[in-house]
Amino acid sequence: MADTEPALDIARHLKYWKMCLQHPLPNHYLSNEGNRVALAYFIINSIAILTPPPAGDADPPQTKPLIPAADRPRLRQWVLSHQHPGGGFAASSSLVFPLQGYEPWEPETGAAQDVEGPGLANLPATVFALHLLALLADEGDGAGAFRGVDRVQLLRWLRRLQRADGSFGEVLKRLPGRGWFIGGGNDMRYCYIAASVRWMLRGDLEEGQVGWVEDFDTDALARYILMTQTYDGGFAGSSQEEPHAGYAYCAISALSLLDRPLETTTTTPSHHSTTLRSGIRNLPGLLHWLTSRQFTYLDPDSPLAARDAPSSPDDDNDDDDNDDPINFLLPVHPGALAPPAARRHVACNGRANKVADTCYTWWVGASLIGLGAPQLVDWPAARRFLLDRMAHRIGGFSKYPGGPPDVYHGCFGLTALAVMGEAGLHAVDAALAVPVGTVRVIEKARAALVRRDRGRGAGLVSGAVALGVAMRGREPGWLRAVERG
Amino acid sequence: MPPKGKAAGKSKASDTPNPSPPTAPSLPLRPTTTTTTTTTTTNNNNPTTKPATVLARSQTRYDAARLRASKNAAPPAFSPADQSLRLATRIAARLARRPSDAAAAAAAALGGAKTRKEAWRAVNEGSVPLRAVVDPRARWAAGDEGRRTAEVSEVGVEVGVDLSERRLARKWRLGCLAVQSRRFLELRGSGGVGDGEVEAEICRRREMAALRAELYGAAVGGGGRLAVDPEWDDVVPVVLEEPEGALAAIQYSEDYAEAMAYLRAVMQAKEYSPRCLRLTEHIIGLNPAHYTVWLYRAANVLALKLPILDEIEWLNGVALQNLKNYQIWHHRHLLVDNYYPSIADDRDAVAQFAASERVFVRDILAEDTKNYHVWSYRSYLVEKLGMWDDAEELASVAALVDSDVRNNSAWSHRFFLVFSNPAHATPGVAATEADPKVPQAVVDREVEYAKSKIVLAPQNQSGWNYLRGVLVKGARTLASVEELAGSFVTGLGEGEEAEDVLSTHALDLLAEIYAEKGDKEKAELCLVRLGQKWDRIRLGYWEWRRKSLEVPA
Repeated sequence: MADTEPALDIARHLKYWKMCLQHPLPNHYLSNEGNRVALAYFIINSIAILTPPPAGDADPPQTKPLIPAADRPRLRQWVLSHQHPGGGFAASSSLVFPLQGYEPWEPETGAAQDVEGPGLANLPATVFALHLLALLADEGDGAGAFRGVDRVQLLRWLRRLQRADGSFGEVLKRLPGRGWFIGGGNDMRYCYIAASVRWMLRGDLEEGQVGWVEDFDTDALARYILMTQTYDGGFAGSSQEEPHAGYAYCAISALSLLDRPLETTTTTPSHHSTTLRSGIRNLPGLLHWLTSRQFTYLDPDSPLAARDAPSSPDDDNDDDDNDDPINFLLPVHPGALAPPAARRHVACNGRANKVADTCYTWWVGASLIGLGAPQLVDWPAARRFLLDRMAHRIGGFSKYPGGPPDVYHGCFGLTALAVMGEAGLHAVDAALAVPVGTVRVIEKARAALVRRDRGRGAGLVSGAVALGVAMRGREPGWLRAVERG
Repeated sequence: MPPKGKAAGKSKASDTPNPSPPTAPSLPLRPTTTTTTTTTTTNNNNPTTKPATVLARSQTRYDAARLRASKNAAPPAFSPADQSLRLATRIAARLARRPSDAAAAAAAALGGAKTRKEAWRAVNEGSVPLRAVVDPRARWAAGDEGRRTAEVSEVGVEVGVDLSERRLARKWRLGCLAVQSRRFLELRGSGGVGDGEVEAEICRRREMAALRAELYGAAVGGGGRLAVDPEWDDVVPVVLEEPEGALAAIQYSEDYAEAMAYLRAVMQAKEYSPRCLRLTEHIIGLNPAHYTVWLYRAANVLALKLPILDEIEWLNGVALQNLKNYQIWHHRHLLVDNYYPSIADDRDAVAQFAASERVFVRDILAEDTKNYHVWSYRSYLVEKLGMWDDAEELASVAALVDSDVRNNSAWSHRFFLVFSNPAHATPGVAATEADPKVPQAVVDREVEYAKSKIVLAPQNQSGWNYLRGVLVKGARTLASVEELAGSFVTGLGEGEEAEDVLSTHALDLLAEIYAEKGDKEKAELCLVRLGQKWDRIRLGYWEWRRKSLEVPA
């Protein structure tokens, strides 16, 4: 029986990603022109998952790596070119301005609070940029991965993205006559990303130490997230909306990142978050809702499928959020829904009664792993579904069965398989969505950055202060005020 | 030295007569490569320049050109020597910003052939990407057209392109148009152009662009919608300079690249004006998913104090064409936030606005009944405009459930509408918690509603989830719906023949009901049968539930 299981064709997937890496993406990605850093993350992350480090004493791979070591500094430089002087990263090269465009911006003097630079840093872009830097770290030099990141400015900017209700927006923009505006809707993704960026950069400096930045209100964020649990157990962008598997993942992962230790000490990447376990109002309800996202995928010509499929407008298939009803077929009778375990396909949807989509296998699976309940997923059937129905013959994964591959679904198809423990793939951290090896790099890079920030302060700022104090004879009042700050 | 490989090849291709149609060039945007190469290949031996006076003359011209450019006037045609000097100066200026390269900068500023060599050495050593040293104006600024024309034609002479009669005629025509175009600029400078002249100028520039494309290849450009529009003459587009090692580049049209270059320019200048508003509309037409453009548009609307209802009306049309785009909904959200205070004190105006928004939302949902962003916006509207007790709102959602009982978005909205109503909801009580303030009559009504829909589609999880949610809100036991749940399950555990289950959700609920009542054995039977037969893909879950029965709650 095991012989009939589909295989993941790693070489074919690499071929697809090589194409995405080495050539401009086709024009239908234009709607993502404003999110190029995210697209880059999907590409580089996928390549990293597909090329795990050689295990133990195995010989290094004979083939030339897709991203040669010599290219890494150059690619990191590209990522760093998106850094905004006011903190954070811009989401696309088209939002990066020539340096002189930022002249009025004075981050060092604190004027950044009031002056807006021309481009806008974006929260999702910031986490993707940090992941990219870690993914593209030089071999054996994880500590240098975040070299060039303005950690202090970034964390200050991050704080300002938090709204009064504890949630996060994605951009900070001055609106004429309205002052600063936190843009981006009620979106759990930003809450997750804020927690993620905080974990990746903040470190363990204590108040008073140079390089310390005041934390955002983590309690308020946790309260906001916990309040968005819906009547049916899921999580939504806000408590007044429909629950959504992507948001559930973001809620769960954000809560777990808020109290995640800075270094991974155990061999398992997940940790037992108390915020997560004790905070969620209805944990059984959440598990119920998450496992209910799985359904037996029936092919349109399956004799088991009822003809009175849920009605939904049959819009064109090119649409990015296609709702083709044949993608979610209900059985004529619950008892009919019983293909033998070895043959069935299990798909996941993002909301009740919605269609199958590759990425929800990841969002649902990784959520359940985050909750410490991986056994609630029918992994073999989920794997079979991804490989039999969603993997494309040119490599990559599609959004819906029979669809074309794209970088987003291509990436999350791989993370889903990797988090399930697929042989030949680099294991993936369920909360951070990058290979576990990359998480180690992030930990080292953070430590190095924090060390540098502290050292820089000791060497330069405090040195200058000491000099000034020595010359004046005493510490001026404003300086004490700043230090208390 | 620097221009080699691909870039040089490209340049040659554009020097030869190009039969491609003059309009709508569709090359992926790496235009500046070509420009760089053109500039540098014109360095030497131009027969039309007088070597003896090159340096002095060039410097004078260069200064004059900069002065004029700053006054929105068209610069004169630059000779290749001017070009090279200018390039050197630019590089010098660029390098001067980096202290370590000050020496190279100083050398570059001296000028002459040695300068060029030095400059290129500095460029190479500093790994400055080639594209970065190109003047963005070389491509799109309308004012530079004359210069570009001259420059490219000189290349033509230099490499000995055979100028056929036809080609010559086109060049003459282009020259005449350029003269007329400059005349237009002069006239405008003295304040005397009417709409007719502007129109004529637009036509003229289009023709010029077409001629140039025909003569020198599409990549020469300058024929973009904005470049030919005199309204944009004073804006120097900030062209995207892609460094080496760029990831995830996207193939897009010249139109889009041009528009983004102008957007970058006005954003950098923080310009808020009607033309900026039109520019955002143009870009949104090309790529409606660009959040920065939307935010910039909002800033324009607010800065210009435009009537927000006008903007909302404009948005209606855009939204219908871009159903899946969520930036549109953020924009609308922001507009309503800014509009609402102006009508907050007028109940009729609020009701009227709420009604018109509902019509719009209804139309959009008719296209896609489960559009997450529309439903998000709808719940925001209910809260913002206080539509809680608006009978129309509940009726409208009920109608959507009637047409598709599995529309979970509609179910969710109903729950929010009923149980978050400030008339009876306790502030701060979560959706998952009982709320003693909710009237029992409301709970009764909602239980009956859910039951009536469950009967229609017993295997529909939306109805069951709703029912459970209502019971929790009303602090009622699950056992209060035992009869309903039991009606979909017969002969459980009485053998394959006798056992029938019309709804796994009913069996799931029964398991909880039995557990609630302390009947562990029956609860276990339900869970075992779910895992063994009726819902096998969740075997792991049912087993987990079964084990949870052991642990006292």
